[in-house]
Amino acid sequence: MVDFRSLRSVCLEPDPAGTTVLTGANGTGKTTLLEAVGYAATLRSFRGGTREAMVRAGADRALVRATLEREGRPALIEAELVANGRSRAQLNRQPVRSRHQLARVVAVTVFSPVDLALVQGGPSGRRELLDEALVAVDPTAGELLDRVDRVLRQRAALLRQAGGRVGPDVLHTLEVWDDRLAAGGETLATGRQGLAGRLGPLVGEAYRALAAGRDLEGVTLAYQRSWEGPLLDALRAARRDDLRRAVTTVGPHRDDLVLGFDGRDARTQASQGQQRCLALSLRLAVHRLVAAETGTAPLLLLDDVFSELDPDRSRALVCSLPPGQALLTTAVPLPEGMEVARVVPVASLTTAPATAGHDERLSAPAPRPEGVP
Amino acid sequence: MYTAPLRALIDELGRLPGVGPKSAQRMAFHLLRVPTEDALRLADAIVAVKERTTLCTRCFNVAEGGGMCAVCSDERRDVTVTCVVEDPRDIVAVERTGQFKGRYHVLQGALNPLEGVGPEQLRVKELLQRVDEEGTEEVILCTNPNLEWEATAMYLAKLLTPFGFRVTKLASGLPVGGDLEYADELTLGRALEGRRELDA
Repeated sequence: MVDFRSLRSVCLEPDPAGTTVLTGANGTGKTTLLEAVGYAATLRSFRGGTREAMVRAGADRALVRATLEREGRPALIEAELVANGRSRAQLNRQPVRSRHQLARVVAVTVFSPVDLALVQGGPSGRRELLDEALVAVDPTAGELLDRVDRVLRQRAALLRQAGGRVGPDVLHTLEVWDDRLAAGGETLATGRQGLAGRLGPLVGEAYRALAAGRDLEGVTLAYQRSWEGPLLDALRAARRDDLRRAVTTVGPHRDDLVLGFDGRDARTQASQGQQRCLALSLRLAVHRLVAAETGTAPLLLLDDVFSELDPDRSRALVCSLPPGQALLTTAVPLPEGMEVARVVPVASLTTAPATAGHDERLSAPAPRPEGVP
Repeated sequence: MYTAPLRALIDELGRLPGVGPKSAQRMAFHLLRVPTEDALRLADAIVAVKERTTLCTRCFNVAEGGGMCAVCSDERRDVTVTCVVEDPRDIVAVERTGQFKGRYHVLQGALNPLEGVGPEQLRVKELLQRVDEEGTEEVILCTNPNLEWEATAMYLAKLLTPFGFRVTKLASGLPVGGDLEYADELTLGRALEGRRELDA
C-alpha cells in the first residue's frame, strides 16, 4: 500500500491459510491496513470513507496492490485511488470494468463494529448484504444490479422531467422503463428471496453458537417485497403517486430483509447484545454460504470485534470462526484458545522502507490475448 | 510560454475527443512545422465539412448540399426495408458489411432521461411518417446492446407494430474469429439465449 491514509509505504504478508493478527496501540493504523485490503477486493471502504479521505494528505493518489492465489492460479489486483479524479483498478494488468467483476475473483467477509447498523439501521444495509452475497455466488448478478440501478436512475430522471404532468409522451416512455424495471426487479427480488431462504438456517445456527447458551430464541429472516403480485402491475398502480412525488415507490430498491427473534422485530425489540450477535451471525452465515456455493472461502477481515463482545461471546466467536485465511485487528488481549498463525505488530510495518520492485504507479497494461477484439 | 496563436491552436485541438493536452501540443507543433499548403488543406477540409454538409432530408444521415444522402439517392436501394440506427457512424458500420440493401433512418440518439433525451429530441415522428408513406415492410432496429437502446427499441416497437409490418432487432452474440474461452460471461450468456436451430 502506498499513500493509503496514514500509511506511506507498507507491505503486509499475511499467513496464507490461517489467522494473522495485527497488533498495536490505538491510532497506529490497524484498521487502515484492513480497510486497504478490503478496498482492493471491493473497491469500497467498509468504514464508509470517501476516496479523498483514503488518500494520504499531501499525496495526489494512493495505490493498493494485492497478489493472491485462487484455485492454484496467481492473480494481481491493483487499485489506484485518485484524490481529485477517476480511481481505477486493474486485475492481472487489465482494467476492471465493475467492482462486481472483482468480487468474482476475490470475496471478502468483513466483521467490524459498524456492522451493528445491519440490524439497527435502515433496509439499505441489509439489501446490500444480500446483493454482495448474490454477486459472489451468481455470475450474472453483478450485471443485473448495475442494470436495475441504471433503470431506476433513468426512471427517476423521467419522473422529475415530467413535473407531475402526464402527457401521452411521458406515459409511453414511462411504460418502456417500467417494463425494464419490472423484468430486472422481479429477477433481483427472486434471487434475493432465494438467498434469504438459504441463509436463514445458517444465521440461526451461527446465532445459537454465538449466544453461548443464552437467548436461545429462534432467529427469523424474511425477505419483504415492497409490492404484491407482478411488479409491472404494481408500477402501473403506483404511477400516479410516483409522478406526483417524482420517485419510484415500489421496486427492489424499497425491499427489506426483516430480522426477528421469535416473531419480535430485531430492530426495535432486542437488546444491543443480541443485535450485535445477530449482525455477526449474518456475516458468518453469508461467509459459510459463499464458501459452500463457490467452493472457496472468502478472506475474513475482523476489525476490532472482541472489544464489543463480552468474554463468553468472544470465546464463542473464536470457536465458531470458519477455517481459512483471516486478518484480525485487536486492541484488547485475544480470547483464550484462539489459534493464531502469525502476529504482526503494525508499528514494525509502517517504518519499513518502500519495497524494491514495487513502484508507486499502476503496472502498464498487459497486451491483450489473441482472439480478443 | 506560447505565443497567442499557438496557445489558441493547442486549446482547440485539446477539445477534440480522445486528445489530451500532450497530444494537442504535439499536433500543434507539427502543424507549425509542416508546409503552409498542408496546413491549409486541413483548414479547408474543416471549413468544407461545416459549410457543405447537411443532414439528409429523408433519413438524417450526413449529406452534401442540402439534399439527400448517398444511400437515399441510390435508386437500387430496397425501399421496403428501413434500418433504424442511433448515429451516422452506425450507417458506416452496417454499410461495411455489404449485407444490407435497404435504407436507413438516423434517430440521432437514444432515450436517456438522465441526459434529457426524450422522444421529442429524437427523429421519431419523422420515422413514423416515413414508414407510413414509403411502403415499408420491415423495420430493423439496429440497436447497440445497452440499456438505453433496448428501451428505445421497445418504445419504437410499440409505436411501429400497429402499422402491421415486421419489426426486428439485431441478434447479439459472439464475435466471428473470437474464442469462446475469451468471451465474457454476458456476451456468452446472450449468445446462449439467442441460440438457433442448426439446419442439417
